[in-house]
Amino acid sequence: MGLWNDNRYMIKWAAVLLCCVVLLTGCAAGGKTDSASDASGKGSSASADRYTYNTSVDQLCTNWNPHTYMTANDSYPHEFVTSSLYSLIFNDALHPLEGKEPYEGYVIVPEMAAADPIDITKEVRTKHPVFGIPSSADSGYAFRIKLRDDLCWDDGTPIDANTFVESLKRLLDPKLLNYRASDVYKGTYSIANSEKFANAGVGVFTSFADLNTTYEAYIAEGHTDDEVFVDISGIWNITTADNKTYAAITDDTKIRDEAVEEGQPGDYISAKEIWDTYLNAGMIDGPETYTGIVEYKYEADYPFENVGLYAEDDLTLVFVFNSALDGFYLTSALSTSWLVKPELYDACLKETKTASGSVWSSTYCTSKDTSVSYGPYKIASYQMDKSIRFTRNDKWYGYHDGRHVYVDPVDEKQYDMYQTTDIDCQVIADTTTTKQMFFAGKLAAYGLQAEDYDRYRNSEYCYQTPGSTVYFAIINGFADVIKKREEAADFDKKTKDLETITLPVFREACAVTFDKSAFVQNVMPRCKEGFGLIGSTYIYDPDECLYYRQTDIARKTLCDFYSVKADEYSSLESAEESITGYDPVKAAELFQKTYEEALEKGFITDLDGDGHSDQTVTLTYSVAADTDHQTRIIDYLNESFKEATAGSGFDGKIQVIKSAPLGNDWSNSLRNGLTDIVLAGWSGSRLDPFNLTDLYVDSSRAFDGMWFDAASHDMMLDIDGEEVTMNLKQWSDSLNGQTVTVSGKEYNFGYGKADVDTRLAILAGFENAILATGDYSPLANDGSMYLATQKTYDVTDDYNPILGYGDLSYTRYNYNDKEWEQYVKSQGGILQY
Amino acid sequence: MVKYAIQRIIYMFLVFIVIMLMCFVLVRMLPLPVLPPEDPHTQVVRMRREAMGYNEPYLVQFGLFVKNVVTKFDWGLSDKLYFGQDVWSIFKQKLPATVIVNLYSIIFSIPIGIFLGIVAALKKNTWVDYTISTLTMVVISVPSFVYAFLIQYVFCYKLQLFPFVMEAGENWFSPAMIRSMVPAVLALSFGVIAGFTRTTRAELTEVLTSDYMLLARVKGLTLPQATLRHALRNCFVVVVPQIFGEFLGILAGSLIIEKIFAIPGVGSLTLNAINGPDYNLFMLSTAFYTAIGLSAAVVVDISYGFLDPRIRMGAVK
Repeated sequence: MGLWNDNRYMIKWAAVLLCCVVLLTGCAAGGKTDSASDASGKGSSASADRYTYNTSVDQLCTNWNPHTYMTANDSYPHEFVTSSLYSLIFNDALHPLEGKEPYEGYVIVPEMAAADPIDITKEVRTKHPVFGIPSSADSGYAFRIKLRDDLCWDDGTPIDANTFVESLKRLLDPKLLNYRASDVYKGTYSIANSEKFANAGVGVFTSFADLNTTYEAYIAEGHTDDEVFVDISGIWNITTADNKTYAAITDDTKIRDEAVEEGQPGDYISAKEIWDTYLNAGMIDGPETYTGIVEYKYEADYPFENVGLYAEDDLTLVFVFNSALDGFYLTSALSTSWLVKPELYDACLKETKTASGSVWSSTYCTSKDTSVSYGPYKIASYQMDKSIRFTRNDKWYGYHDGRHVYVDPVDEKQYDMYQTTDIDCQVIADTTTTKQMFFAGKLAAYGLQAEDYDRYRNSEYCYQTPGSTVYFAIINGFADVIKKREEAADFDKKTKDLETITLPVFREACAVTFDKSAFVQNVMPRCKEGFGLIGSTYIYDPDECLYYRQTDIARKTLCDFYSVKADEYSSLESAEESITGYDPVKAAELFQKTYEEALEKGFITDLDGDGHSDQTVTLTYSVAADTDHQTRIIDYLNESFKEATAGSGFDGKIQVIKSAPLGNDWSNSLRNGLTDIVLAGWSGSRLDPFNLTDLYVDSSRAFDGMWFDAASHDMMLDIDGEEVTMNLKQWSDSLNGQTVTVSGKEYNFGYGKADVDTRLAILAGFENAILATGDYSPLANDGSMYLATQKTYDVTDDYNPILGYGDLSYTRYNYNDKEWEQYVKSQGGILQY
Repeated sequence: MVKYAIQRIIYMFLVFIVIMLMCFVLVRMLPLPVLPPEDPHTQVVRMRREAMGYNEPYLVQFGLFVKNVVTKFDWGLSDKLYFGQDVWSIFKQKLPATVIVNLYSIIFSIPIGIFLGIVAALKKNTWVDYTISTLTMVVISVPSFVYAFLIQYVFCYKLQLFPFVMEAGENWFSPAMIRSMVPAVLALSFGVIAGFTRTTRAELTEVLTSDYMLLARVKGLTLPQATLRHALRNCFVVVVPQIFGEFLGILAGSLIIEKIFAIPGVGSLTLNAINGPDYNLFMLSTAFYTAIGLSAAVVVDISYGFLDPRIRMGAVK
C-alpha cells in the first residue's frame, strides 16, 4: 500500500543511505590532496617531466573569438593560443641593443613571418591605385611579408597567406557585424579600404558627437539635410511605423508619442518637429553633445579585393595601410590577432532571421571543440566559469626552430623559451581561498590585499608592478554651484563654509599640504608617490623604450612646479628625486593667506576676533561605496589638513566628510559641484602619453570640465624659435594630430608631423599648465604588489612596461611538478614567504 | 487520488503560464539597457531585439517567445553575460554541478539529521538530548558560509585532507571529484542536518507520547520495534515533505558556497542575469525554478496521500 508498509523498506533505504555516507567519507580517507589535477578529472598530473603554471582568475573567459571578444577576461587565452607576424622580446646577448644593458629594452623579431617586412609602397602605389596611397608617399604604406613555411593549426592543417586573407574577410564581413572589425580601421593603424568593406551595404549612423562636429559645420562641409537624422528612440522614446529608431530631420511623418495622452498637445510628433523645435533650438542635446543627431551613410557593395591585404602567393602577404607606419607601430599593425580557421569559423555561425534581415551569432572559440590554436599552447580542457587548461601545442613551429631561445642574464647560459608545459587556470573568486591555495603551493601568484602589505612587502618573493594611473586629490571649483549650495535652507552659514575652496590660494596651499610619502605608506601601500600629471610608466618612444617621466624636460617641469632649484643639484634626476611635494610650513602660510582672503571676500567671519574662522570649511568627499579604504583616505586628508592649518586662521577648521554612497555617480557628483573632493585619476595607453592631454581639455571627461575651460587658458611655447600662443584645447588637439589654425597659420604636432622633442616640450608645458590650475593635486602613482611562487623565477627583476618581468615564455622553474609536490610536503604543506 | 493528481498538474501548468506571462511582461516593461552609440555591438543587439519582437505589443512578444520555446526549444541568446551564446546550453552546462553537490549534501544530511532527531527524542530530557538540541540551535543560527570558511581552513589548509576547490571537469562520480566536493557538501550539510534533527525530534517526541504507542508497547513490542513500526511512520508525514522542500534548495544552489569552493553552478546565475541585465537568461532561470517549485509543491501534496492513508485529498465521497 504505502512506501513504508514493511520494515524491510526502511532497512533498504537505511542501507542505501549508509552506503552513500561511507562512499563520501571513504573518499576523504585517500590522504593528502594532490596538486591541481587536470580539468577532465583524471586525478593528479604531477610528474617529473611537467612544468605546470597554476593560476587563477576572478572571472573566466566565455568568448575568445578574436572577431567578437569584448573584455580583457575574454582575451586571456590569446596569449597562449595565438602568434603574431612579429613579436617583441627582451634584448639579450643574442639580440643586443645598442646603448642598452641586456633586458633593459626589447627588440622586434619575426615570429610567423620569415623575415623583416619589405617596404613596397612605391610599387603598390603604381600597381594598385585603388588603395589610395598618396602620390607623394614613397614609404610606410605597403609592406610585403614572407611567411614561414611551417605554420599550421594545432590539428596540423597548414596556415598560408590565403588563411590570413580569408580571416580578414570574415572579420570585416558586413553581415556579421563583428565587434572587433573596427580594430583594423579605427585604431592607431588602418588597413586600406577595410572600413569601406566593413560598412558595405549597411546604412551607418554616426553621432555628431563621434564625428566631433556640429550641424552647422556638417552642412558647411557640403552635406545636405537628407543625411542628417535624429535618434528619435533615444531622444523621444518613439519609433517610426516600421520600427526604425532614426528618422531624417526632414521627415514630417507624425508618430504617436505614448507618453502623452491622446488629444493633448504633443500626442503626435514628427522627427522634423523634434529637430526644429528642440534640437536645432538647442533645447535638448544641443551643441554640447550632439549625441542624438546622427549622420546617415549608406555605402554600396564594396569588393573585398580592394581591401589592403592580399596574397601574392601561398607564402607572401601584402599589407597596405591608410597611413604611413614604421617601427613599433608597424609591428602592432601586423599583430594579426584576427586569424581564424575559416572552415571551423563558418561551421560555428548561426543565422537568425528578423523582420528586416538577418542577425548572426557564432560559437567559434566558446568551447574546446570550437577552438583551434596556432600558438605555443592549445586548449586541453575548458569548463565554463570553472577552469581552462592549456597544454603544449607540439605542432607549433617555435619548439623546433631553434630561434626561441634566450640568454639568462645571471648565469649567461642559453635556454629554450616556453619551459612551461601546462597552464592551469581556475576561477577562484574568493580572495581568502586564493591566499590559502597560494601558501599551500597550489597557485603561482597571490595579489596582496591591504592587510597583507605590512607582512609581505619586504619578502624576496614580493614584486611590485607600477600602474599607469596617477591618483589626484581633485577639489571642487564650480563656484556657481557652491554658491547655490550655500544658499540652500539647510546650509548653516554660521558654522560652515564652502566658497573658500574656490580661492586659488586655497588650492596652492592644498598642493603642499599632503605628504605623499606618508599617504602611500599608510593608505595605498601598493602605490608609489605621484608628483606629475603623467605617470612613470608612459613611453613616448616605443621603438627605444624611452619614458616621458625620465626626460629632462619632464623632470624640469616637476622641479619648476614644486619650486626645486635644479641648478643646486648635481643632475636633474637628483633634483627631481628631492621633490616631496610636501611643505607644511609653506602650507600653513598659504592657509593663513587663504584665511585673510576669505575674510576679506566675506566667505567667512571672525566675530569674536580670535584670529580664527567662525566657520569650518567642510568638504564633502565623493564616495561610490562606503568602504574602509575610503574611510582611511578621508582620515588621512583630515589629519593632513589639521597639521597644515595649525597656527593659521583655519586651525582645525578644515574638515572632510564622507558623502552618501553615490555608486557610479560619484564622479558626476564632483563634476557637477555637488561634492567637493575626491581621490581619482586617469590612465591611458602607456605608449601614448600625448593622448592623455585630451582628458583634461574635453569638458565631458575632465573632472573640472564644468568650471575649467581649457579653450580660454592660453599657453605660450617656443617652437623652433617661434613663440606660439594657443589655448590648452588647441595645444592638445594639435598634439594629437588635429590641424589647428591660429592667426591664419596651421599647426599640427601629431605623431609623424612634428619631431619628438617638440612634442615633448608641448606635453611638458601642458602638464605644468594643468598642475598650476590646482584642480588636480597628484598624490600617488598606482601599482600592485604580488607574491610570486617559489616554484618559478622571472628572467629579470626590472619591470618593463611592455614585457613586464618577462611573460610566460621566459618563466623558468626551480622545480618540476613532482619535485614541487615533494618540496611543499617537506615544508609541512604551508610555504613561508 | 489520480483525479486529484491530474487536477493539481493542470493547475500547476496554468499557474506556471500565468507566472511566466507576468515575469515576461514585467521584464519587457523594464527599460532596456542603453546601447552606447559607438559600441560595435549596438547594431547586433538592436537586430536581436527586433528578432525577439521587442517592437511588437507584449502579448505578441510573449507569443513569439512561447512559439520559439515550444517549437524549437529556443530560449534566445545571452545579450550580456555570455554574449551571443545560447542561454539553454549555458544553463544546462552549469546545472549539474549545483545539483550534484546539493544532492550529496542531502543524501549525507538526511540520515544523520533523522538519526540525531530520533536519538534526541528517545533520550528526551537527558544530557544527550540537551547536547543535540543545543548544537542544533547553534548550527541553525550560523550561516553556512561561516562553516565553509572554517572547513576550508581546517580540513583543506591546515590538515590538507581535501582540495581547496571543486575538481574541474564533469566526471561527477569519480573519486577525485567526490573528494573535492566533500568540503562544500559538509558546509551545506550542517544546516540541513540541524533542520531534520529538530523536526524529527519535535514530531517523534509528540508521537512517542501517543496512546497508540502505549498500546503497541502493551501488545509486547519493544521500544525500538514500536518506534520503528509506528512512531517513525507517523512522524514522517512531516519529515518527508521537508525532504521535497530541500530538493528545491538543491537546484537553487548557494551563491556563497559556490564562490568559496569554486563550484561552477547556477547559484549566481539568476542574480547575475538580473544585475547584467541579461533578460533571456533571467527568463530561462525563472521558468526553470518556477517549474521546479510548482512540481515540488504538487509532489509534496500528493505524497501526503501515500504517507498517511487517512489523508485522501480530492477524493469523492
